[in-house]
Amino acid sequence: MTTYEQIADIIAKLHDLPAGLTRPEATLGELDIDSLTTVEISIRIARDLGVTVGDDELQPDLTLGGMADLVDSRRTTTV
Amino acid sequence: MPSNTLSPPVPAAVLCGLAGWVPPRVVTNDELAERLDTDDAWIRTRTGIRRRHVAEPGQATSDLAVAAGRLALRSAGTDSVDAVIVTTTTPDRPCPATAPVVATRLGLAGAAAFDVGAVCTGFVYGLATAAGLIASGVARRVLLIGADTYSTIVDPLDRTNAIIFGDGAGAVVLRAGHADEPGAVGHFDLGSDGAHEELITVAAGGSRQRATGGEPTHAERHFAMRGKEVYRHAVTRMAASARTALSEAGWKTDDVDHFVPHQANLRILHSVADDLDLPRERCVANIDAVGNTGAASIPLALADAVARQRIRAGERLLLTAFGGGLTWGSCLLTWPELAPHL
Repeated sequence: MTTYEQIADIIAKLHDLPAGLTRPEATLGELDIDSLTTVEISIRIARDLGVTVGDDELQPDLTLGGMADLVDSRRTTTV
Repeated sequence: MPSNTLSPPVPAAVLCGLAGWVPPRVVTNDELAERLDTDDAWIRTRTGIRRRHVAEPGQATSDLAVAAGRLALRSAGTDSVDAVIVTTTTPDRPCPATAPVVATRLGLAGAAAFDVGAVCTGFVYGLATAAGLIASGVARRVLLIGADTYSTIVDPLDRTNAIIFGDGAGAVVLRAGHADEPGAVGHFDLGSDGAHEELITVAAGGSRQRATGGEPTHAERHFAMRGKEVYRHAVTRMAASARTALSEAGWKTDDVDHFVPHQANLRILHSVADDLDLPRERCVANIDAVGNTGAASIPLALADAVARQRIRAGERLLLTAFGGGLTWGSCLLTWPELAPHL
């Protein structure tokens, strides 16, 4: 499973969104993700992927692909 | 004393009565949308709440507590207890405690009566307190009431909090019994972290605000909560507390038939259930109908689930709460046979 697929999995579980709505270029704003959900995503990224991403880094213009890149960069730097 | 003398077993607190009561007035999301910049769909998807009950002007926390307490005594088939504990964040007055007047109005004058304050964790703290009174032999029977009227401290124009909170009361009766019988509450995990007291506050009305001088502002007189930080603490603390209680008891997650959390926000409840690897279907939630009712939320959720026969005798329950302080707590019990409370 790629990091993007793991991210999409987390997002889909949160919002019960049909899988089709999550795509790499979709922004958090387009997916109607509010501030509490960014906290939830941050918690789940830490819990499921073992990477720390602050909820303040999950801004509305961030794409899901961008979030995957962020997670991957943290994985690289923490290994 | 001869070494082979057996001490009598320490009595356990056994749940033998349960009831919930909410004031009749219902406030729907649509009604809130008339005065706040929000709508029904927004509230439902963000919180899982469809409506909440609100006390009438002049209706105090003790009024709700008496109504729930009376029903719980009836459920237990008793009209006497040795102690009355009210757990609340919205006492009738800063002084005195609310429990004595509740006890007297229930015909229980003379019983020990005091309040426990642990904000939304109050019910679990209250259960532990009641269990301690029973274990120490101070009381054989305790009435514990979680009651809150958040409508009296939440600014009605504060969209963040006005959509979440409702008023209500839930009560249980606990009697002295054996640790291995259904209804015995145990394996408590209680905790706190005062370093984060600023996350959930009513700034004015206590000695701290008075000590700093000056008239309180409108905001200082009302309930305030730092949502994002509270959310993160709630999820992580509740999951950790639940794990500790389960570990103490030697239960696996799969042993839990029903997870009954403080009804803070449906997203928090699902997040904790996911963290514990508990199927969401095992999470008991009535937040859609009553909102977050503070210290009343767990007994109200229990009363609702039992009335709908969702929880049945012999099933195993995990209760977990989180609240201002910060405070958190969990305990376990096997559900007993209870008489209908109406």
